[in-house]
Amino acid sequence: MSAAPVTAPLPGDALPGLSRAIDQAVIDAYARASGDFNPIHVDPAFAATGPFGRTIAHGLMTLALVAEMLNAWSGGAFDAGGELDIAFVGPVFVGDRVAVSGAVEEIAEVDGRVVAVVKLGCMAGDRAILAGTARVPVGHSRERAS
Amino acid sequence: MTACRRYDDVAVGDVFPAEPLAFEVSPARVDAFLAATGNPGALYREGEAIARAPSMIACVYLIDLLAARGSPPGGIHAKQALRFHRAVKLGETLSIQARVAEKYIRKERPYVVADFEARGSDGGLVSTGRVTSIWGRDP
Repeated sequence: MSAAPVTAPLPGDALPGLSRAIDQAVIDAYARASGDFNPIHVDPAFAATGPFGRTIAHGLMTLALVAEMLNAWSGGAFDAGGELDIAFVGPVFVGDRVAVSGAVEEIAEVDGRVVAVVKLGCMAGDRAILAGTARVPVGHSRERAS
Repeated sequence: MTACRRYDDVAVGDVFPAEPLAFEVSPARVDAFLAATGNPGALYREGEAIARAPSMIACVYLIDLLAARGSPPGGIHAKQALRFHRAVKLGETLSIQARVAEKYIRKERPYVVADFEARGSDGGLVSTGRVTSIWGRDP
């Protein structure tokens, strides 16, 4: 990891984002790894007859980027007790560069746990791809370490 | 391989698959997933974390689960909720099953909502969640 995980986040903090270029080879590789060979992702002829007119990336691949960002930020705490609730609001096309981001909205107690509620963003250029929130365990401190 | 089902044949309360799906979190699957998502995997390759898998390996077992539902080609993943109850251990086998929670038509698109849970070999919850899909083309 390039940065130490956050220890005491505060509302308004921005998470270090990440971005990835998407081409058909990336989509095909993800299909092989996930077993998701839905033709809307991997068959240009089939996808041409669908709602987007061309292949689109798997939504869960985009979500994996979001999880990577959340885990890098939290030192893996997201893996051990995180939550996501998102909607895929737009497709990712071949040639897009997807950028995921997050901002802490609040620190809250949920089911006896202290979590950072993170507003998620995901864009491809000026198009929104994904919207929603994550909850990331952040321990028990409500104050930033001095 | 499960045959594709028609939208009208899917009912709220349907459980799929009939017996929980077994999914091994094998090193090969984890490595393939990390490579395909461009994740260098530093969190999973050092110290004690070497026995840990990314929880988002859920991206892989959810596909197996949706295949067991008999979803036809062309479907679109519309929404996803996930909760991870503990970290996933490399090499463990998860038992996964889902239930259709809701069906509805919106803007002439047929939606299916399913709740799932994945349990570890000790029976404890590993993950739970809700998948909202736009149904593919009926066979």
